[in-house]
Amino acid sequence: MGKITLLLLLAPITLLADNPSPLLQTNCLACHVEQKIPSELIYRRYLMQYSSNERIKRKLIPFLKNPTKKTSIMPKQFFLKFPQKKALDLNETALTQSVKAYLDYFDIKKRLKVQ
Amino acid sequence: MLASEKRSLFRFLTIYLSSTFILFFLAVSIFYTLQKQEILGQQKTALSSKAHAIEQKLRKLHNTFETPLLYPHDKEIGSAIYNLDKEFIFGTFQPTQIKWSKPLYTHDHRLFYIHRLKPYYLGASYLIVTQEINRDPLNRLIQNLTLFLLIVMSFFTLLAIFLGKLFTAPMRDSIKQMNRFIEDTTHELNTPISTILTNIELLETIYSCQGEKEMRRIQVASQTLSRLYEDLTYLKFNYNYHREVVTLDISELLNERLEFFSTLIEAKELKLNKEIDEHITIEIDKNDAIRLIDNILSNAIKYNIKKGALEVQLTSNALEVQNAGLGIKKENISLIQKRFIRDNKNEGGFGIGLDIIGQVVERYNFLFSITSTPNKTTKVTILWEK
Repeated sequence: MGKITLLLLLAPITLLADNPSPLLQTNCLACHVEQKIPSELIYRRYLMQYSSNERIKRKLIPFLKNPTKKTSIMPKQFFLKFPQKKALDLNETALTQSVKAYLDYFDIKKRLKVQ
Repeated sequence: MLASEKRSLFRFLTIYLSSTFILFFLAVSIFYTLQKQEILGQQKTALSSKAHAIEQKLRKLHNTFETPLLYPHDKEIGSAIYNLDKEFIFGTFQPTQIKWSKPLYTHDHRLFYIHRLKPYYLGASYLIVTQEINRDPLNRLIQNLTLFLLIVMSFFTLLAIFLGKLFTAPMRDSIKQMNRFIEDTTHELNTPISTILTNIELLETIYSCQGEKEMRRIQVASQTLSRLYEDLTYLKFNYNYHREVVTLDISELLNERLEFFSTLIEAKELKLNKEIDEHITIEIDKNDAIRLIDNILSNAIKYNIKKGALEVQLTSNALEVQNAGLGIKKENISLIQKRFIRDNKNEGGFGIGLDIIGQVVERYNFLFSITSTPNKTTKVTILWEK
């Protein structure tokens, strides 16, 4: 009985983790999906380069305000296939919240399971 | 084995063996520490190769990123990944305390190895792997070292005993030679002393002798020699002869011995003041009691001044003998109780009297004290009960 209750309580959280937040959907994923830009691949590169969410956030926010090919985490070849990102027209709070939602959505801790 | 030889051998063995054992123990400790590090190093190598295998799997997982991401789990070891900020990401265990400054450390019978990752696959900067320490090689090492120490200790103990006996042999020979000399001398003294004393008595009882004063002097000198013979014999056979501990009337014996010493007391014109309670009894061998009383009285007479006071008091608690004389310096009181040591060398003797008193007192658990006022009096007290 206890296990069933726990599963019922955890179910919405799992669903939330699987589905992007409206903020993330609107500010980020909508364009990425439309232009077929692989968000997960970008996250993986950030993760491999900066390790922690805090460090990624510190690098990602300035990039989103002023994105250039030079400051991008992606290699030059990437821009042969995908367009150069334009600066986001978001205030500081919305930008921070969007980045937080992005990191939360792809968070590695939530995706890992024991073999 | 002689007592002094035993003492010397014991001191030598203590110094030699303790220094040898400390040295060996230190050497074995250092060897153990080095061997332990090597054994742990071997286990670390095995752990390290498992960490590398996990790293490869993490890399593969990062590249494929197939959901769900199945963490590479090795059943033989525990592993966990931490990001660059040392925050826990995932793992099959989560240690409560991590020693980040040490790549390899032991805690709670487990070996921990911190493997650095670069690039950070799945965000992991640190991979911590752990496994229980395999104590079998360590236990085998401890067993071997203990056995080695035991063999070495046994060997060096035997060697030390052999060397000790070798070193003390000249001393033992000298002491034996001295004892044999004393034994021969005392044996040779016995017959002439007995002859002199018997003949003095004969002269006094059968013949009326004119030189009474001279005769008395001969008697005093002979008695002194006789007591010296008795003391030396006592010291020689002290540890061997059979004692017969009886309930002895010490009052009667004390009066007898005072009578024996009367010639000496009269010769020195001492004022004897005796307060002897009657029928005081103690449990003691008669020869021991005689040697005890004779030596106390002899010293009190010998070191008394001419016409000095000699006070003898016996109660159920104690025997007290006080004389007048030069007294003994406070710092010398404990010293003169050792054999062949004397405070006043003006009078004859070997310095064995107080040693004999000390031996009797120790054997029967009496209490012995000397109190002295220089140039006035010296009082010797024997308390029968502790």
